[in-house]
Amino acid sequence: MATLADILDPTGQTTPRIGGTAQAPRRTDLTGVRLGLLENTKHNAALLLDELAALLQSEHGASATVLRRTKTVFALPLPEEQLAELVRECDVVLTGVGDCGSCSASAVADGIALERAGVPAAVICSDAFTATASGMAEVQGAPDYAYLTTPHPVAILDPDAVRDRARQLLPRVVATVTAAGAQQEAAS
Amino acid sequence: MTLTEAPAVVPDADPEAAQAAIEHCYAQGWSDGLPLVPATRSLVDRFLATVDRRPDEVIGSLVHLNRTVTVELAAVNAAMAGCRPEYFPVVLAAWEAIQRDRSAQGGGWQSTSGPSPLLVVNGPVRAELGLNAAGGVFGPGFRPNATVARSIGLMVRNALGVVPHGFEQATQGLPGRWQVCLAENEEESPWEPLSVEGGVPAGTSAVSGMLTRTVEYVDNRHTADPEQLLADFADTISRSGAAIFRHHPAGIVFCPEHAQLLADAGMSKADVRAWLVERCGRSKADLARVGKDGVGDNGVRFADGGTDPEAFDRLFSGAGPEVLPIVVAGARNAGISMVVRVLSGWSASSVPVVGRTTPSTQAGAVQ
Repeated sequence: MATLADILDPTGQTTPRIGGTAQAPRRTDLTGVRLGLLENTKHNAALLLDELAALLQSEHGASATVLRRTKTVFALPLPEEQLAELVRECDVVLTGVGDCGSCSASAVADGIALERAGVPAAVICSDAFTATASGMAEVQGAPDYAYLTTPHPVAILDPDAVRDRARQLLPRVVATVTAAGAQQEAAS
Repeated sequence: MTLTEAPAVVPDADPEAAQAAIEHCYAQGWSDGLPLVPATRSLVDRFLATVDRRPDEVIGSLVHLNRTVTVELAAVNAAMAGCRPEYFPVVLAAWEAIQRDRSAQGGGWQSTSGPSPLLVVNGPVRAELGLNAAGGVFGPGFRPNATVARSIGLMVRNALGVVPHGFEQATQGLPGRWQVCLAENEEESPWEPLSVEGGVPAGTSAVSGMLTRTVEYVDNRHTADPEQLLADFADTISRSGAAIFRHHPAGIVFCPEHAQLLADAGMSKADVRAWLVERCGRSKADLARVGKDGVGDNGVRFADGGTDPEAFDRLFSGAGPEVLPIVVAGARNAGISMVVRVLSGWSASSVPVVGRTTPSTQAGAVQ
């Protein structure tokens, strides 16, 4: 006679991925760093990243050399070539805005991939999508991966409101991609 | 290999054991909210025996989520959904049809739009399995229609791991999600079946599929004029709430009465499409009122406000079945049809049903 243990599992779930560390080495400051901006086509994403880059240049000495790239498929993680280019050309990458079900998850996957390739990254998601963003961190084997959130919604903000968001995010972006922030986190 | 068929009646079946098994399935997180049939090896083997496919064949994946769907997992989920074994070839064809929708390969299942497959079955398998093509075709009430559609939902939930409030981020979802599998009413349709437009010869059983956002009825029992009738469809198709991008697709499930009225006026499916493609859309003035008159480089609408109010934005990007698939289904008792909100278009590619779809022990045996 069959028992409950004989009921088949419909998930086919394999053991979770064991991921390597998802933290690239950090610099102590951002003087002269070449920024990469990876926008995902969501409305206001490019503007938010541009505003952050301007602040990092004027207030933290980031280089005027900025590589701007657009994700071709926002729902999916970055293709290898685009990842390789960012890793080659940039010292720090900012990406976002994770503002939908699939793109918030894929933004986190991109951040983790960049970190594993040695480039500190700040991933910005809307705070309405933490479940899916954190779910992706788990799938990638980095359940503690720290991404940044900004209040939902982002898409309908006017340019001044986007600038305000950049200003609010700046200290957390700096903390995320520098050694000071990493130490702070380790201490907390 | 000899298969053990479960007897039709098990006199000593224990209903309380069945209840416990159902509760076990809920406790594992496998259910979509309704009871599941506990799938055992012997039951799933009967599903697998209807097709000549390797159980470990991969038939879908979401690489970024590290998940894959195999024929075996499809069978487990179809069994749990309440399918009979002989439905399994239709489930596999339905899955393949949906895989051909580009949204399903991208982030569709994770989308805030919470899309639902619309499955359409053509050919002799409709009668073999007792699929409903007539009254109440959108359901519920018919086991193959209900359980084939549900199977796809369970595969996405369990095998792909896209679960509500997790990777599934539907803002509201939609009524009828994972519940719509129509058989086309070929007998009362004046036109070629959808599967023929999808490249499968007439008379061959096939499934077509596309992701959709909802359906909206057009109730017109008021005119015998084909142009007045189509104008009623154009109005529903053109509503601004559905406009996100420069263009968007739509579909129509015509009731036999509307289809026959149009065909009697000499219109083919292509004529119907051409008439609608010409007229569906909104003026910039209408779109400006709802903040959608501008169109960005990426094709997404935005509130521009400076567009020419007289200009007209056509809704469709083309005139083929990819952007406006047409199906005939339902009873011939009223002029009530459905406009379908197709998410990103139909692949215009139907999938033949391959396998043994007749319910007998012999038919289930593997050669």
